Amino acid sequence: MTTATNYASFKPAVLHVTPEGTGHLIGTRCPTCGAHFFPPRAVCSRCLTEDLQTVGLSDAGTLYTFTVIHQSTPGFQIPYVLGYVDLPEGVRVLAQIGVAAEQARIGMPLDLSIEPFGEDKDGNPMLGYRFRPARGSGAGTPAAASVKE
Amino acid sequence: MNDVYVIGVGMTRFAKHADRDVVSLGTEAVRAAIKDANLDPRRIEAAYCGHVFQGMAAGQRVLAQVGLAGIPLANVENACSSGATAIREAYLAIRAQECEVVLAFGMEHLTSKFKGALTPDEDDPEAAVGLTMPGVYAMRARRYMEEYGTTREQLALIPVKNRAHAALNPLAQFQDRIAVKQVLESRPIADPLRLLDCSPISDGAAAVIVTSDAAARRLGGGRAIRLAASSLRTGSVEPEPTSMSFEPLTHATARDAYERAGIAPEEVGFAEVHDCFSIAEALRVEGLGLFGRGEYLLAVERGDASLGGRMPVNPSGGLLGKGHPLGATGVAQVVELVRQLRGEGAERQIENATVGLAHCRGGKAAGVDGAACTVQILTR
Repeated sequence: MTTATNYASFKPAVLHVTPEGTGHLIGTRCPTCGAHFFPPRAVCSRCLTEDLQTVGLSDAGTLYTFTVIHQSTPGFQIPYVLGYVDLPEGVRVLAQIGVAAEQARIGMPLDLSIEPFGEDKDGNPMLGYRFRPARGSGAGTPAAASVKE
Repeated sequence: MNDVYVIGVGMTRFAKHADRDVVSLGTEAVRAAIKDANLDPRRIEAAYCGHVFQGMAAGQRVLAQVGLAGIPLANVENACSSGATAIREAYLAIRAQECEVVLAFGMEHLTSKFKGALTPDEDDPEAAVGLTMPGVYAMRARRYMEEYGTTREQLALIPVKNRAHAALNPLAQFQDRIAVKQVLESRPIADPLRLLDCSPISDGAAAVIVTSDAAARRLGGGRAIRLAASSLRTGSVEPEPTSMSFEPLTHATARDAYERAGIAPEEVGFAEVHDCFSIAEALRVEGLGLFGRGEYLLAVERGDASLGGRMPVNPSGGLLGKGHPLGATGVAQVVELVRQLRGEGAERQIENATVGLAHCRGGKAAGVDGAACTVQILTR
């Protein structure tokens, strides 16, 4: 179990983590038309309702598309798989995908994973999120962490 | 409202100008445009400068060099559409009859600011998980290839075409042709995109003199080209995820421009579009309605989008061949359109060119389908 607890680098705050190390992504839901948004936003883009509700999002989705990043900014250990994950609420979330590049497939089922993700400016480990192949989907093995830790 | 014309254009060579700074590049481009228009610089009533990373009051530093201090100037930042947005501000000032002669220029000294790929703002939640700009387009490329069954080799035909066009443009960063094999064997950047699928880091500047119709008659020397539309849109926030193999933002911006210009997509004879990455050119021209959805790579394969083809795309070499100094890019596209429409395209001249279109699209903000998009239509 990780000792990393700081996830302040994710701005705006998009990740809720419990003391047990589980958690979920945070979005907003329009109380009028039901639309969901990620990252959270202040006003509904469909019906302009204000005061959207903060909600936890589903932890399972499917891979819409992906890439393997071979050149990145300092702090990210290359290569890593990056993809857009469609959640049942109708939101698309960008995340690193914890899967070997050759096993990534458009449409594959994925689960959210709360795990160590890089360091803050003082070198303290942070918690972040990836998506990993859904249990029982038979796809993939835990890939090497793709952020310097 | 006034109709709007372009009476002068100028640009530096796009290249890695290690021994120069942005003010020197901006000054060269502005002076070239003034000279091209054969204009007394005292006629210029206002100026707009597009740039992204050149610091506070960069445009004013250029004005001071060219003897234009005192007139109103606004620096315009709109990601890769900054230069095009500067032209649009000039267009609006003239449409509103506030001004008759306006300078719009764009400039960027990128090599002194970046070594590798540009990244979204570090506070962006997508940047926080490792998004890069090539990564954005790589994911779109994978989706496009999956949906339309196109191949990696077909995608490589875009940089091959644009480098061939650039080889005919003495102001382009790259002067050599490349082959498909070189694209496929270049360094991987963001799979499936490789180095030669990506526009380079470039320095450069470009400038245009924009006027009212009355001023164009007085000052244009018979060479004025009409700026029939200059449209700008920002990305919308969709309540449902949209297809990444098509560009609603480009489509909406183009529709606005076609309407304002009274021009149908079928009337466009050639286009300069924002090919920051190979796949981007396909997404742009299909969003603009110049080619059918999923059909562009086949058209490139047939030669339709090459000089001499049915609808030349990026005759200047585009961002892939000419280079991509962010703020200068949108202005340089209009420089190319004006030169083609005047018949000054030299080895790149498109026969019977009467309607040209320029498209820019830039920036990344989480949750929207693109930050800023411009479409400008010029007619002879």
